[in-house]
Amino acid sequence: MTKESTTKTNISRRDALRLMAAGGIACFAAPNLIGKPDIARAADKKPAGRVVVGLSQEPTVFNPLMAHIEVDDAVHFSLFDALFRMDPEGVLQPNLAVEVPTQKNGGISADGLNWRVRLRDDVRWHDGKPFTAEDVKFTLELITNPKFRAWRTGGHSLVRDLTVVSPTEITWRMEQVFAPYLSFLTETFIVPKHLLENEADPNAAAFNQAPVGTGAFKWSQRVAGDHLELAANPDYFGDGPYVERVVFKYIPDQTVLYTQFKSGDIDLTDQAYITPDHYDEASKLPGRVVSLVPGASVESFYLNLERPQFKELAVRQALYAAMDRTAIIDAVYFGVVTPTETFMPKESFYFNPNLPAQEFNLDAARKLLDDAGWVPGSDGIREKNGVKLAFNNSTTSGNNLREQVQQFLQQTFAEIGVQMTISNLPAAVMFGEFWLKSQFDTAISGVTHLIAADPDATNRLASSAIAAKGGKGSNVGQYSNPEVDALLKKGAQTFDPEARREIYYRIQEIVRQDLPFLPLFAATYVIGTKEGLEGWEPNSNTRTASWHAAGWRWKS
Amino acid sequence: MTAIAANSPRERWWNSRTAHRFMKHHLALIGMVMIALLTLACVLGPHLLPYDSLYIDLRARFAPPLTGKHFLGTDPLGRDLAARLFMAGRISLLVGFSAMLLSTLIGTLVGVVAGYRGGLVGTVLMRAVDGFLSFPSIFLVLALAAALKPSPIMITVVIAATSWMEVARIVEAEVRSLREREFVLAGRMLGLSATHIMFREILPNAMGPIIVAATLTVARAILMEAYISFLGYGIQPPLPSWGNMLNGAQQYLGTAPWLAIIPGAAITIAVTSFNFIGDGLRDALDVRGDHS
Amino acid sequence: MRSFLFNRFAQSLVLLLIVSVIGFVVLNLIPGGPLAQFGLDASMTQDDLNRLAEQLGLNRPLWMQYLDWAWRLLRGDWGHSFRDGAPVLEVIGRHLMATLLLMGSSTVIAIAIGTWIGVRGAVKRYSVFDYMATVGAMVALSIPTFWFGLIGIYVFSLRLGWLPAGNMYTIGDESVLNYLHHLILPSIVLALVHVAIWSRYMRTATLDVINQEFIKTARAKGLSERRILMKHVIGNALLPMITLLGMQLPSVLTGALVTETVFTWPGMGRLFLDSLGYSDYPVVMGLLMFSAILVVVSNLAADIVVAIIDPRIRLS
Repeated sequence: MTKESTTKTNISRRDALRLMAAGGIACFAAPNLIGKPDIARAADKKPAGRVVVGLSQEPTVFNPLMAHIEVDDAVHFSLFDALFRMDPEGVLQPNLAVEVPTQKNGGISADGLNWRVRLRDDVRWHDGKPFTAEDVKFTLELITNPKFRAWRTGGHSLVRDLTVVSPTEITWRMEQVFAPYLSFLTETFIVPKHLLENEADPNAAAFNQAPVGTGAFKWSQRVAGDHLELAANPDYFGDGPYVERVVFKYIPDQTVLYTQFKSGDIDLTDQAYITPDHYDEASKLPGRVVSLVPGASVESFYLNLERPQFKELAVRQALYAAMDRTAIIDAVYFGVVTPTETFMPKESFYFNPNLPAQEFNLDAARKLLDDAGWVPGSDGIREKNGVKLAFNNSTTSGNNLREQVQQFLQQTFAEIGVQMTISNLPAAVMFGEFWLKSQFDTAISGVTHLIAADPDATNRLASSAIAAKGGKGSNVGQYSNPEVDALLKKGAQTFDPEARREIYYRIQEIVRQDLPFLPLFAATYVIGTKEGLEGWEPNSNTRTASWHAAGWRWKS
Repeated sequence: MTAIAANSPRERWWNSRTAHRFMKHHLALIGMVMIALLTLACVLGPHLLPYDSLYIDLRARFAPPLTGKHFLGTDPLGRDLAARLFMAGRISLLVGFSAMLLSTLIGTLVGVVAGYRGGLVGTVLMRAVDGFLSFPSIFLVLALAAALKPSPIMITVVIAATSWMEVARIVEAEVRSLREREFVLAGRMLGLSATHIMFREILPNAMGPIIVAATLTVARAILMEAYISFLGYGIQPPLPSWGNMLNGAQQYLGTAPWLAIIPGAAITIAVTSFNFIGDGLRDALDVRGDHS
Repeated sequence: MRSFLFNRFAQSLVLLLIVSVIGFVVLNLIPGGPLAQFGLDASMTQDDLNRLAEQLGLNRPLWMQYLDWAWRLLRGDWGHSFRDGAPVLEVIGRHLMATLLLMGSSTVIAIAIGTWIGVRGAVKRYSVFDYMATVGAMVALSIPTFWFGLIGIYVFSLRLGWLPAGNMYTIGDESVLNYLHHLILPSIVLALVHVAIWSRYMRTATLDVINQEFIKTARAKGLSERRILMKHVIGNALLPMITLLGMQLPSVLTGALVTETVFTWPGMGRLFLDSLGYSDYPVVMGLLMFSAILVVVSNLAADIVVAIIDPRIRLS
């Protein structure tokens, strides 16, 4: 079951041109049409075959330190390495480092402020230059360079006194104790100093269009709007790669994505995966393997707690009780997703399984509202002190399943005297100020609370993270609870996982009681692979199904 | 399609020409009947059906047409497709008509003023028309629709804002040619105000082309609404429109093709009918064929 | 002639100015903005977003952003994409091929079939064929392109399995045949409307030519009808079509946008939709200007050609 890789790229491009000339159309060659030279093949490992990964958004950002979106991760994980990696069990594993620093092994000082990382000495960049601690220093400094359009700077901005002790050892001091930084570093890919240091504008560097990393795959070529291709790096220091080429194909429509998986054009469906309504059919396809993979995101009904309707707990409890989650999960999502009571992903070490389960009960919902003094007005809509229990609900227009959930909820809410008006926006509009500055009444969205799988949810839940009130995070529901604030602070300063677990269990309990948002379900992705693809493994602690292409191989 | 000025008046041609005209009027008649039926169905239909277009019944989802109680089947939420189709027709036809009225109004105003005034004002106005026409209209429509909050009124405005140019061009040309006619000169000599001459004297004489253009604009507006809604920037659910009924249909193309076929057929029928009527009117009013 | 050219050229420049202003204002009216794509990312704090806005120059007043953009454009700098950081012209260039391929093949289809239907309809005027062509053209003009595409996918890809449902080629098979196989459905869908328009115009143009003196002369000289048709009628009827080609360009682009969406075709239409979705202002503006320039230039070229052919035009 080995797939032949194409070696006639150049010829066929010329064919394409001839085809156009035959049509009598004037055209000029796009700059990227000249095929990149084929990679040298190593004699010892002999990676073979090609894996085509389908993505429904297009990866466009190839400098892993620049602001990018989830889908770009798929490419970054194959091209680059970080100091550590997070394995599927949520355990940190050394990657470019030789060990994960802890307080026990002395890598992190007892007060949590001084860090030391030892690095491998056998790593080379794709262009043959050796990787050293200088590259790590350069990377961490570039992120906080004010001219650089960096992705997250959280954590990195606390780093001081970066010192290269030797080519294989680097130390720094943290401005304050910040335990999640260890996890952040799993998504901080190291870039080569020698290719970037002389760039006047790091945002426009040639490197950003043709990246050079240390990873299992090298940059090969990109056909913008269609696909990009990576080639095996025979000198990879780690295990693998076993396939010769990885192709990331951009297919904006999920139906077409599925059709191509079905027809065998795609070997692995990465984001946004197979739609739940195709799960049943897909799992019966011959020669295809379909897995249900829990995701980190939790689909929730978000409430803007500063709206007068939602200030009262009874209202939030009533709305929660009025959500027929079973119907939503079973009918709209074809039973693919699972109910949850918390923001913490089920796969996480910190997931609290002891939270009370929601129960769908319209009578209970009505009673809650009656008892709280929300009585139906002449139009059947409940009100209290002149405030009507009526609100807008927004979600991303064009997301069919969400729109169905929304319309279904609208109908059940109406039965308890709550009027919900639908007002949807395109994703590009919704997640701007409308979302970030809490301009919505309610919203349905899938949200990940964790950063790099660290349980610290300060950015989502701390009262200091309300952007609408000048805060610096994305606590868009404007949730504010001093006890949670204190616990979050304590959690971010604790390194010991067991001790942290206790803290985050308690936070989940409080949040479940307060109901600042109403969880609908925990995301589960339907990921399809072609039979014979081995070594593929899902990892809920990363944002991509292609987090470890180095291990992929075709069954021979 | 077009009245040919210089055709030789051979007997045989004259005869079949009448026949042709008849056939054309026949088409226009078909168009009229279709629109009347569609309108009637959309107005009365929802009252005759036992289902509400918004009522969700998850147990009845994905029922194919002609199999159960729902004669056109149901959608992914188990809502009756026929009820939704008729309610959607109300919205789509209304948007089409309102967009036509609005764009005809704008186009006529611009065209009359530009044609009558001529000179700098005329040039500036007509360059603006050219400017709008140089956009592939879908680009402008999408950008506008994304900028504004999608509601039927906004969509109407957006469509009107991008379809008044044709009318403006037609009217401007017509007015320019009428400007120097005797009756206008007479009016001017009588000391009538420019506004009076423009709208009372010239405009009635340009009504023919305007009516034809307006009819074709309805067809175009209905299509436009469908495009915008299909791309997700249009009228938002649960309010159905023919366009947004198609929006989710692609996802279920394999399993529930009727979700795509039925609303699309409704759009095609409505738009074809308006095009038939417009074409018949063009012949009847003897307007030269300026294709839209 | 020179003053005519100068006039048209000046007018075209003003037109481009208007297009750019409208485009820029409308684009910036869209709430959300380029940073909305990071709105769901827990790790991008408000500080990070503010920093990016500053770095991208988004927090300047709108007029300043416009002037900056326009000034750069005048010097040949179309800016860089917010997404992948590549120069805008390069980004457009990467997607141009696909669109040209699609537009080209559909234009060829439209001209070939449209000419045939139009000429035949004109020659056999008021025949059943002519009548059917008239009705058919009007129906074709009324079918929503994307719907026609969906039906095509349903029938030929999902039911019959004859044709691919999307993309330009299969990864790993870049042969001409593979391209052609993928081209069939989208180019037919895109051609539909243009066959209708082209056939109508062709019919009128042919009728105009048929009744002219030189055709009668040719007939009097005893040339065969077929020869007259091929040599004199079609040739002369095609001339005025030059203007039509120019006029059709915006609508072909519009059609391409919709068709590319339905068939996941990696062309400029998809690029436009994606860029709009990410509020990638430089690319959206680049595409707007690019297509406006294309339209203006082709209109100008058509005007010039017609002016050369027909000296009377110059007077008006």
